[in-house]
Amino acid sequence: MSGSATLFGVIPVGSAFGRFVSRLIALPQLRRLTTGDIPWTPLRKPIADCTVALISTGGVHLRGDHPFHLNGDSTYRVIPGSARREDLAISHQAYDKTDALRDINLVFPIERLRELEAERVIGRLSDVHYGFGLMGSAQKLMPAIKEVARRLGRSGVDLALLVPA
Amino acid sequence: MTTVGLALVKEVAYAARAPRFLYLHWPFGHALGEPGNVPQQRAVLHDMLSMAVAAPRAGLVVPLPYRWRREAYAATLDWTTPGPAFSTALASLTGPGSISDPRQHRAPA
Repeated sequence: MSGSATLFGVIPVGSAFGRFVSRLIALPQLRRLTTGDIPWTPLRKPIADCTVALISTGGVHLRGDHPFHLNGDSTYRVIPGSARREDLAISHQAYDKTDALRDINLVFPIERLRELEAERVIGRLSDVHYGFGLMGSAQKLMPAIKEVARRLGRSGVDLALLVPA
Repeated sequence: MTTVGLALVKEVAYAARAPRFLYLHWPFGHALGEPGNVPQQRAVLHDMLSMAVAAPRAGLVVPLPYRWRREAYAATLDWTTPGPAFSTALASLTGPGSISDPRQHRAPA
């Protein structure tokens, strides 16, 4: 897979330019969508007793699963906690994936969390984690976000860590 | 469920108005750092876990001071105590003399 990154297939994404495009696309939408109070759920138990899940927007999914549409995808992928790095792939074209393909932990730190579970720093690694791809419309992403939040809540996850592309 | 997010674009983190964000001025595709740099990746996770415990109110975006490819990361030995970089960054937002965040948050559910 090529490491060169383009947004929507045409806009080259360097670091500064990528940030500019990200702000340009995201800020007006977020300002419209995030009205009202900021939600707040304090941690109710020690980290060493918490079940921890990952949510990545880096386009990570199981190699055998459907890849994300590169120009925008409002769906999510389920990633089992038992997934090994060779089981995982990245479908995302808005960042340089060269390093993340060498070390998936840069966008989906599952191996690091597995170590923390073994060291009893965290209570438990969740059985299920979630991957999102590139999506220019925050509004279109909302149904999937709400479904993932419901699933995480039902599965007894105490702490979700969000990792961006 | 408690959430902690990493952000690579500070303005987006503020606009998202999420409960807890840590901001890193690092390139896209490198939220946890450099490939194979396990101490660095563990330091970021340590800060995320510390944020889950220590953030005193909703909406904080804590900028971590780590410079890209110019830091040496010591092994994280004590996971129950926040690291010095995170502690200093959080205190700069919440400590005496800091600017209070006027936004209110909901009471715990």
